[in-house]
Amino acid sequence: MPVALVETKLFRPRPRAGLVPRPRLAALLDAEGSRLTLVSAPAGFGKTTTVAAWLSTAAAADPDRRIAWVSLDADDGRPEAFWTYVLTALDRVAPGTGSAALAMHWAGQPVEAVVATVLNELSVLPDDVTLVLDDYHAAEGPAIQAGLALLVERLPPQLRLVIITRADPALPLARLRARGELTEVRAGDLRFTGEETTAYLSEVTGLELAAADVAALGARTEGWIASLQLAALSLRGREDVSAFIAGFAGDDRYIVDYLVEEVLDQQPAQVRDFLVGTAILDRLTGSLCDAVTESAGGARMLETLERRNLFVVPLDDRRRWYRYHHLFADVLRTHLVAEPQGPVAGLHRRASEWYAAEGESALAVRHALAAGDVERAAELAELAMPALGRERREAVIRQWAQELPEEVVANRPVLAIGLVGGLMSSNDFGDVERRLVDIERQLALPEGELVVADPAELPRIPAALEMYRSALALNAGDPVTAIRRADRALEMAVDDDPLVRAAAPALSGLASWALGDLNAAHASYLVAIEGLHRADRIADVLGCSLALADMELTLGRLGDGRDTLERGLDLAERHRPDGGGVVRGTADMLVALSRCAWHRNDLAASAELLSRSEDLGEDAGLAQNPYRWRVAMARLRAAAGDLATALELLDEAERVYVGDYSPPVHPVHATRARVLVASGDLDGAQQWASEHGLRADDQLSYLREYEHVTLARLLLAQETPAALEDARGLLDRLLRAAEDGDRTGSLIEILALQAAAGRDVAALDRALSLAEPDGWVRVFLGAGPALVPVLQRFVRERPDRAFARRVLEAATGTGTPSAAPARGQHQLVDPLSEREIDVLRLLASELDGPDIARHLVVSLNTVRTHTKHIYAKLGVNNRRAAVSRGHQLGVLSAGRWADQGHHLGHHML
Amino acid sequence: MDYEIRIEGHLDPRWEGWFDGMTLSARAGETLISGPVSDQAALHGLLARLRDLGLPLLSVTRVAPEQSA
Repeated sequence: MPVALVETKLFRPRPRAGLVPRPRLAALLDAEGSRLTLVSAPAGFGKTTTVAAWLSTAAAADPDRRIAWVSLDADDGRPEAFWTYVLTALDRVAPGTGSAALAMHWAGQPVEAVVATVLNELSVLPDDVTLVLDDYHAAEGPAIQAGLALLVERLPPQLRLVIITRADPALPLARLRARGELTEVRAGDLRFTGEETTAYLSEVTGLELAAADVAALGARTEGWIASLQLAALSLRGREDVSAFIAGFAGDDRYIVDYLVEEVLDQQPAQVRDFLVGTAILDRLTGSLCDAVTESAGGARMLETLERRNLFVVPLDDRRRWYRYHHLFADVLRTHLVAEPQGPVAGLHRRASEWYAAEGESALAVRHALAAGDVERAAELAELAMPALGRERREAVIRQWAQELPEEVVANRPVLAIGLVGGLMSSNDFGDVERRLVDIERQLALPEGELVVADPAELPRIPAALEMYRSALALNAGDPVTAIRRADRALEMAVDDDPLVRAAAPALSGLASWALGDLNAAHASYLVAIEGLHRADRIADVLGCSLALADMELTLGRLGDGRDTLERGLDLAERHRPDGGGVVRGTADMLVALSRCAWHRNDLAASAELLSRSEDLGEDAGLAQNPYRWRVAMARLRAAAGDLATALELLDEAERVYVGDYSPPVHPVHATRARVLVASGDLDGAQQWASEHGLRADDQLSYLREYEHVTLARLLLAQETPAALEDARGLLDRLLRAAEDGDRTGSLIEILALQAAAGRDVAALDRALSLAEPDGWVRVFLGAGPALVPVLQRFVRERPDRAFARRVLEAATGTGTPSAAPARGQHQLVDPLSEREIDVLRLLASELDGPDIARHLVVSLNTVRTHTKHIYAKLGVNNRRAAVSRGHQLGVLSAGRWADQGHHLGHHML
Repeated sequence: MDYEIRIEGHLDPRWEGWFDGMTLSARAGETLISGPVSDQAALHGLLARLRDLGLPLLSVTRVAPEQSA
């Protein structure tokens, strides 16, 4: 997870006891038919309190009510943070709704796709959810606004969005207002009325105030609760109420200023010192306050302040963390600013030390910078970087790259290279070359002129420089340079350098792969995996194993691929986290093994592996797993003759596709075209070829080999003399290219197609010889029905070749029937009804809740009820998992399609 | 650029530190905040801080800087 969550930001504030009830505001907020509730007013109008109180009442009346709360701050202006908090908050109250979207978000998918995914889930959610975004003005900016506007535009009826802000958000408010879909609570509404003022004052002060006095206070404060609260506090325990009020009403100083001073004056010195000393802190807890004020009893002081209603707001329900009311903190800080620099710097310095001791490096550095201790900030940053890298929190480092002044980076090479690492991890390449050049300059300086806090890192720098240059080259589309530099980085690496020893070979491998040199890529990836294993990055080992197995399959080494994946699975097993769960990537191993089994035509094993993978749940898979699972399931469905479902699954796969660093050599659209060809939809397949600009006379490259072989299949199926000639020419060229690249896996397929195209027994012979050792069977079925007579002839002429007979039996469906995946709902205790299956089918599409309802000619509520039952019966809590499980159980495969596909035999994919 | 910002209410001169180099002068129920602002981002930051104090904003005017002697 790239963002470490601050739990207090997800905490729903609980209203204090003894609040004055304000039913007119509750009535406003309860308005029906509104989609967006906007509470917009300047600081100190009681926005948060009002919403918290309203929701508390609602929650008490309906304990099942799902309320998600996010308290935003300036750090949430970055989309990575903002959406992480919003989706996490949603997922916590409506489990399953946010997990897919979160995975996409962390994989770097565009906001539109992420928002669409969560909306997709929410629109069929049986229950209602309220989402509150507090202090939205703090996070608002172009980066956030676009995504939020999308959310608001397509807001499902189940989601009530409440935005609390000091400034109207840049959303289409006028339009929502005109349609009656906006509920607004503004300053005018939030001001305390005369009645409310009277009630408030008597509650807080315990005094029976004269009507004239109340009126005077009301007039002066204008119902602004922040000042009313301060006034009430000032009045507590005061002898001469009228005199105070007269003086107060007559003074025209900034009201908060005036009243805060009055209140502060009333406090004992100890309290005053505490307040002024801790004003620099954004968040307060007992021991932090003690450290900053160099005293004791901070925890008790905070509790006291809370009890006496003096400006602190609890941030959790365990009385551990608090913050100050914004206005109060502002005033306090002006007291600090007015004083000489010394004391303030000291406060920040002590805060920095406390955070450093707690291991909170981000805040430690921030306070050090605020104290003007640039050198100390640099030291803290340098020492914190290894841990941040391990925890994948490079976003913090990236922030430092902007916050740390250049002069302090200019003589700290370890710091400088660490900052580069943070930038690279965030794909922020712009400034990197300049920084690398500067680090080289630093390394040429005499050692005495450099400042190094972490000397162990110093010898690693030269190799790291080469490695980052390799990454830049790869990113710039220059794989040859990338390989050269990566290899050099590995040569230069010292023994104990887990980063370079894992990352450099991985870079080299990626570059080789992009160039089509699979043997080199394979060798590099083996080194990378070893490096990652030694660095204990198990999930990364699994990710690379997946790539390695892909390469092995392309090289024709099906057995090696299976071994790689089994080793990965074994490793995952040995590293299971305590407390249950599996290592992320375990599911991917199983899906890839399923693919291996499918290649051997062991469909029962393939189905079983896929089922096991699905049972592990979404947390067990890496970012690409949802897409790979669907492609694997599509293959099984196609093998069973259910082409329609196969196509649907491939469409789904494309929708959930997430790219990664490896070259996309098996694009789903090409797999889809293969299904089209197998089903006889040659027009559809031709359209695909045109859309992707594929022609028989194209220049060939490894990266498009899969697509070109697919084109060859299409040409063969077309069966016209011209198409056959094109096919033969294309296949000849593909053959040479595959031979040059050592890609035996592709070679087998190409030879099989050549055999089918030209009734070429020699080609078939060679293909079978290559395929037999590892048992590649399905590849022959993909060559289409035209291969059958060639196989038959071969088997007649060469009865000694048992493997050939096996392939023939598979192709004609006369062998031992490979058990089709379990059909029907025998595994369900409570099977789905016909109607529920209809709804489930539509859940597999992109349609949102209202569209599904329209399609079925029922109300949205009916759909939601069905969804509730479907989730319960399938044991899931979100739409995507329901669809996966449906496919798993074969519930989504329509019987009628299976009949139609059956006579096409098993000539699929 | 120099700006003059008028807000309703009296802010104590102590708040000058809050506004980072601007001068505060109070008159007749208003406070005038004047001085150099480095760029638009700085101006909006200043306005946001004013907003957070809850003081009504009356006007924001750009003025020609004093000719240097």
